[in-house]
Amino acid sequence: MPYSRKNLLLAGMVAVFATSIAMLYFFDPATSGLFPPCPVRYLTGWYCPGCGSLRAMHQLLQGNLRAAWALNPLTVVLMPFLAYGTASYVLFQIRGKYLPRLFLPAVWIRALCAVIILFGIARNIPFHPFELLAPGGMLHP
Amino acid sequence: MFCSQCGANNADNAMVCTQCGRSLRVGAPPLPVQQAPMVQVPAVPVQNYLVFAILVTVLCCLPAGIPAIVYAAQVNGKLQAGDMAGAQLASKNAKMWCMIAAGLGLAVGLIYGVLIAAGVLSNLNH
Repeated sequence: MPYSRKNLLLAGMVAVFATSIAMLYFFDPATSGLFPPCPVRYLTGWYCPGCGSLRAMHQLLQGNLRAAWALNPLTVVLMPFLAYGTASYVLFQIRGKYLPRLFLPAVWIRALCAVIILFGIARNIPFHPFELLAPGGMLHP
Repeated sequence: MFCSQCGANNADNAMVCTQCGRSLRVGAPPLPVQQAPMVQVPAVPVQNYLVFAILVTVLCCLPAGIPAIVYAAQVNGKLQAGDMAGAQLASKNAKMWCMIAAGLGLAVGLIYGVLIAAGVLSNLNH
């Protein structure tokens, strides 16, 4: 069924994904204004755990690991896992087979959740050393 | 002689069964059943949507992804405990929160797109 609904949906997702990656490669979210600002930051003025992640992705795609780390270390740490998961999902849709599944014990996922929340709180604390965790905090010591 | 545990046929002078390892001397205690490993990956995969939950939380700045991560942890915890029905329920909830987060993200993106378009148009007028 080459034109089934599922295939069209998949093609759409791949197109959106590829376009976002290309846009992130060519345009810096810090300066281009093409990407929406973080809604949490916009509405509350606080940094969320994901603030700086798009800018970090741009820097990662450009090969600047240090700049990416300074913008959002959490994104850099999680990226290999996310890339593996995404690749596994895409391969499943194409070949019907996942990559070898990672089975994370529940404790790990709870720990990850705690890390994300604590990271989000810590980067809003306005003094040393927590300010280093704010987006770009490590770039201007 | 036949092993009393697994029924395999062994040589008459054998000390232990070649099949299951039980001692063939009369009155020997049976071998303990092997313990299952602590963490068992279930045969039937139940999606926990963890990757998607992290994507919307961290990459799209949407705190609605946090409950999705909590439910992802529940999925794996219940699978470890062998609670298949519970895992499937948690999986459904994880998926629902992912959808809520994705919907929110889409709404923010659309509003932003409209604002950008409006800004471009008003610049053209001046």
